[in-house]
Amino acid sequence: MSLLNHRLARPGAYTVLLVIAWFVPYSVGSYEMHILDTALVYAVLAVGQGLVMGIAGQINLAQVAFLGVGAYTTAILTTHNHLGFWAAAVLAVLASALIGLIVGLPALRVQSHYLGIVTLGLSLAFLNWVTNASIAGSGSGIPGIPVPPLGSVDLSSDYLYYYLELVVFTLGLAFGLFVVRTRLGRRLRAMRDDSLAAGSLGASIPVLRMTSFLLAGVYGGVAGVLYAGLIRFVAPETFSTSNMFLLLAMVVIGGRQSLWGCVVGALVLSIVQNELTDLSTYSQLGYGSVVVLMVVFLPTGLAGVPSQLLRLRRHSTGGTSLTLGQFQPYDAAATTSAGEGVLLDLDGVTMRFKGLTALDQVSLTVHEGEIRGIVGPNGSGKTTLFNVISGLYHASGGTVRFGGTRIVGMRPNRLAHLGMARTFQNLRLFRNLTVREHLLTALDRTPTRWAWRYVLWPFGVQHGEKFLRAEAEQLLDRFGLAPFADAIPYSLPYGIQRRVELARAMSAHPRLLLLDEPAAGLNGAEKAQLAEIVGSIRDSGTTVVIIEHDMSLVMSLCGRVTVLAAGQVIADGLPTEVAANPQVIEAYLGRAAQNTPTVEDEPAALGSEEHA
Amino acid sequence: MQVFLQTLVGGLSLGAVYALVALGFALVYRTMGLVNFAHADVLMIGAYVASTFTMSEHLPFAVAVVAAMVITGLIGLVIERMLRPLEGKDFDLMLIGTIGFGIVLEALATLIWGATGRAVPSPVDTPPLHLLGASIPTYDLVVVGVAIVAMIALTLFLERTRRGIAMQAVAMDYDAASAAGINVGRSNAIAFSIGAGLAALAGALVGPLLYVSPSMGGSIGIDGFAAAILGGFGSIPGAVIGGVVIGLLSSFSAGHFHGYSDLVTFLVFAVLVMIRPTGLFGERTVSRA
Repeated sequence: MSLLNHRLARPGAYTVLLVIAWFVPYSVGSYEMHILDTALVYAVLAVGQGLVMGIAGQINLAQVAFLGVGAYTTAILTTHNHLGFWAAAVLAVLASALIGLIVGLPALRVQSHYLGIVTLGLSLAFLNWVTNASIAGSGSGIPGIPVPPLGSVDLSSDYLYYYLELVVFTLGLAFGLFVVRTRLGRRLRAMRDDSLAAGSLGASIPVLRMTSFLLAGVYGGVAGVLYAGLIRFVAPETFSTSNMFLLLAMVVIGGRQSLWGCVVGALVLSIVQNELTDLSTYSQLGYGSVVVLMVVFLPTGLAGVPSQLLRLRRHSTGGTSLTLGQFQPYDAAATTSAGEGVLLDLDGVTMRFKGLTALDQVSLTVHEGEIRGIVGPNGSGKTTLFNVISGLYHASGGTVRFGGTRIVGMRPNRLAHLGMARTFQNLRLFRNLTVREHLLTALDRTPTRWAWRYVLWPFGVQHGEKFLRAEAEQLLDRFGLAPFADAIPYSLPYGIQRRVELARAMSAHPRLLLLDEPAAGLNGAEKAQLAEIVGSIRDSGTTVVIIEHDMSLVMSLCGRVTVLAAGQVIADGLPTEVAANPQVIEAYLGRAAQNTPTVEDEPAALGSEEHA
Repeated sequence: MQVFLQTLVGGLSLGAVYALVALGFALVYRTMGLVNFAHADVLMIGAYVASTFTMSEHLPFAVAVVAAMVITGLIGLVIERMLRPLEGKDFDLMLIGTIGFGIVLEALATLIWGATGRAVPSPVDTPPLHLLGASIPTYDLVVVGVAIVAMIALTLFLERTRRGIAMQAVAMDYDAASAAGINVGRSNAIAFSIGAGLAALAGALVGPLLYVSPSMGGSIGIDGFAAAILGGFGSIPGAVIGGVVIGLLSSFSAGHFHGYSDLVTFLVFAVLVMIRPTGLFGERTVSRA
């Protein structure tokens, strides 16, 4: 029943908003109309900024320059080259999309603060060009941009221009929301929260970063065309750094991670700023202070208020129960391939970090259908080994073969597509994605460049979404996560977070699963469940390599165990053989212990290592 | 030769200013892992305060500079205190927070001193020196001299005093330093206010060379940041070398490209960051993000 209500509520609310927007011009004066038209330009621009900064997490401080590229290109092409307005408009959007890609290039190398300052520098370079180039009016701007022709509609009227803007804005926002709520948006958000983990799930991070800047450029260009058609005059001041910071304030105050928030922030701040033209410095002081207060006290902006209120209410009513559901075992694979082919083969792998040799000539063979344990004291290179196998590190020497293919130097996302999945020692979950979204992101196995379909065939995207969601439901049920499907993992108990990470890694049903200390922090019952799950995963045909300190778990689960110490393989064999190996005991307990061990002490001594 | 020598000296004095800006960036980045986007606006406030004291109150230049450094040091303390809840948690939010402070400072400057800006007379009125046929303004030499003294003082503070060494420890390992009983919050606050004071010094020095206005910080800030990156972010000698290189670069590119010198400088900077994000002279980067 409530589901039905929810389904109807959304389109209902949209319709009401559209009707209100449609009738606004009937009740405002001509000055207010002009302010509202300007505000809509900023709203389109803010959607672009929200996508690149809020959704994709790229600190872009050149968005106002994209607006400038769109507006100036339109102005130059219509007044200087005497092109028709709409032809100029198309070229202007293309130009600013191209500039978006160029400005985005540094994002391939640097992030965060560096990216912010580089994009700011590039936008100042643009400003420097338009204030000096004679084709751009040498700083005094370009007047006389023609009124956009549209049949018999006279777009020189701010009232009629409003409807043109409303259509463009609605389409732009709808497309933005469509992106955010489907696979491209999930990948962008996953990248924002943890680019390493997103890459390990198969997303190509460089392509995603460029896509986000492309989107920012397109929205900036469209806003620029609307601006040129509305004001019909462009001058450098509009695209200054202070306007960039105004846009940033709009997006932060509204809530950068929500496109609706960005739109509300843009409309409100733009209207306030224009209503207070005489007091613009005071309003600057005001929004600057609000930005500071917002980042400290309300980082999700106005858009975050409803969900925070909701959380408070849910808190007071007691909340949901926090017990994991039962794991439903996989169907066993038809043919047991155990011990047949070699799946993973390392030969003489060496990894050096400047002076330090973390891995020294490591050779290791894992057969299909195996559960292989990797043990060793802290700092012996176990996680480094996983990072080399999964493509996070580029080995300094040696070869790694996965299913017969040489994989040294391949990026994690390529390896993910070849059928490799991993978990991380210290849980790399996505901070702002729900459990369901984690699995949806991981289930999506399409190449990142698949995103062109958003433009050419959006219905296909929507259609594929249904299949993904059905698969995600199955996976939620299998891993007993259905009760938490809509929760943010970091708000859940640690054991459940571990389960989410395991489910995420298993989403694509990999050939090889690398587990990095999956039992760390789990209680006894949870460890028993883990053993059962890993066993079932192996039976379903996935080979497992597991780093673990809990020796009883390793002993009971693994067919073979490899021991690393100081970056070298010191033992490899059946668990009982390895545990009795004097070299292993020495590595764990030091030379002195070698003289006194009794056979019964060994497993217990090794087991105590888990808390080291 | 004359032109070359004059451009060289002009570039060196500008470079000394950039080096001071870069030092401020580097000091805060080393201790907190944060790039302070309000840095350039703090510089602008410093330039205004110093020029107000010399022009309206007729205080000696040195006194005005110290007063400007104290006032901006206090502003630095306020910024750090406000953003402290975010320290070590969300660097992007802190970055946006410092941009917010930048907006506030620019608005305050416009309210107090007006939007038009002012030309500041040189505090030194001795005639220019003549060297190999080139005339070199004495003030340029003063700027270089003051900057060198400031850099030596900062280095001595960081290397020789307890507080300075504690700050270095925080820069190297945040957790270990706080476990060793160092008050990390206070250390960050001091770094922030020294950084602000350096910005004010740079602003006071650059005032008579350029034109003081509420929006003057923009390109100086980015040039100073470029200097910090060039020197390997977080390295103090690197920041000095980076400052001089950027100063010479922009001085000579102004001679060659005239109005387009900003365009050229920023494009070169963007390409440089892409090729060597860790800087040309150092590999030291503190990354706690």
